[in-house]
Amino acid sequence: MPGQVEVHFIHPDEFRRWVRDHKSRDQVDKVMTEQEAVSRFLQDGAYLAYDFSSLTRGPQALVREIIRQRKQNLWICAEFTLHDSPLLVGAGCCTRIDVGFLGYGSYIGQAVCEGKVQVFDNTNGVLAARILAGARGVPFLPLRNFLGTDGLSHSGARVINDPFTNDPVCLVPALNPDVFMIHVHQADIYGNARLFGTNLFALEAAMASKRVIVSAEEIIEPLEFRKDPGRTTIPFFLVDAVVHLPFGAYPGAMPGRYELDLEHIDRLNAIQTEAQMQEHLERYIYGVRDHLEFLEKHVGWPKLKELGRKASIKEGYQ
Amino acid sequence: MPEVEFTDTEFMICAAARLLEDRKTVFVGWGMPQVAAMLAERLYTPHLVQLFEFGAVGPQSLTPFIQGTMGGPSNIHRSLQWINMNWAFSYAATGYIDYGMLGAAQVDQFGNLNSTLLGGTYARPERRFPGSGGGNEAASFCWKTIVVLKHEPRRFVEKVDFLTSPGYLDGPGARERAGLPKDTGPWRVVTSKALFDFDAETKKMRLLGILKGLDPEEVIRGMGFQPLRAATLQELDPPLEDELRLLREQIDPSGIIIRGEKMRAAR
Repeated sequence: MPGQVEVHFIHPDEFRRWVRDHKSRDQVDKVMTEQEAVSRFLQDGAYLAYDFSSLTRGPQALVREIIRQRKQNLWICAEFTLHDSPLLVGAGCCTRIDVGFLGYGSYIGQAVCEGKVQVFDNTNGVLAARILAGARGVPFLPLRNFLGTDGLSHSGARVINDPFTNDPVCLVPALNPDVFMIHVHQADIYGNARLFGTNLFALEAAMASKRVIVSAEEIIEPLEFRKDPGRTTIPFFLVDAVVHLPFGAYPGAMPGRYELDLEHIDRLNAIQTEAQMQEHLERYIYGVRDHLEFLEKHVGWPKLKELGRKASIKEGYQ
Repeated sequence: MPEVEFTDTEFMICAAARLLEDRKTVFVGWGMPQVAAMLAERLYTPHLVQLFEFGAVGPQSLTPFIQGTMGGPSNIHRSLQWINMNWAFSYAATGYIDYGMLGAAQVDQFGNLNSTLLGGTYARPERRFPGSGGGNEAASFCWKTIVVLKHEPRRFVEKVDFLTSPGYLDGPGARERAGLPKDTGPWRVVTSKALFDFDAETKKMRLLGILKGLDPEEVIRGMGFQPLRAATLQELDPPLEDELRLLREQIDPSGIIIRGEKMRAAR
């Protein structure tokens, strides 16, 4: 039944109150390690969103840190999720997924069939609109798609007659994630952040979420944002933590900085069984202390340099 | 008569690329549609503006096609605009996008699409696929939707196991009654053997053409519904030399997308 499904939803006033009481407007140094950012701001049971994909500018180092900390009962927004969902489910971190796009490969499909994870079928556009509603401080947004589909019964969307046209219209509930994670090209110590290329819902999700963790390839001077403000993606007062993570999108690509590592991605694509999943997690995630040790032990400087060289397209990323 | 050898995927890509019109806009889905749009841009429709759900407007994608390149630098190269998902879908919602091109696991006689699951229950299906992605938005908003799928009778079903993206729902007028934008809907279904359209009156799928040399009876055998049949069936050319050369040498030399079942046909 539409409207009968569990939805992550909070009253817009509750979110406003949270912003008033918990989001500092002070310019303070928010740089911390990935361990600290994830342990301080992501609690078990939280609703998590992120931007972009595991192949392009995804917060992959932060995803690995979540797994390393063995977080539990996360509900994720799988908007453009490829390898993140199988890893988070395989590691026992994630029990609910708002789909979007469920993820890559047979492991995650099988996990749904076996009931290891509960899914809620939205669409990419519906999830983006729900986050936009969360960012606009309204309880829902009306859409003219999603109508006529089976997803209506599995998403919390409702259909009413629009008072202006008297036609049916689909209402999708606002989504205010507990935590939003994003990997960007540049940030300053206060959390001002900019990315180059396209994005899913970088600004909307940062506005709509209770906590925002930014990881960045590069930490730059705050003045740089004021010199070119048209390119600021997220202003500092939305951000709770800044983590300096060069190669933080690895094995995905960081546009203009490094290309994706197909060899490691093939390893992810090859995971089909539970044993293969646990072996992968053990070797590449639990078996290392942090992102730096992961890069040193499993990637190495020659490979990183080669991936950097391969990123020969610079237009739009400087 | 000289014969040409190609894969079922190559035929689908070429047949889909030939359907696009120059100086129009197209909403491009992941994988095969990406490659079809690249082929069309290079051979038939140089001024076609491609739109990607993740916010690339009018890119001139570089070759070769890279696996998983959705949103990567070669995929969004020399775009007119880089934005985000809410705005990308807004272009389609306001009527600026002429064509949508997407795949599916199942399709029914009204062109309703399933890309979510097969069998079992919703909570415990027998098979689970990635789901809508942006497919629902493409199928809901674009003026003409092109569906591309492998010609396997089991994919053509009386009722889809899950209605992910709307076709004509249960018949004429149903999209409008549901609140979907007027005058939109599935326009063509391209398979590895045939081309279908939809009857203007009944909104039921209609066999419009078949790959040269195939027997129409054989092509529709085993489908879960009996498609209507156009008065004259078009004979669809197998992939042309130019198309195959571009696909194999320039666009997808490693064969990530274009590989498939081998087929033959007379030129």
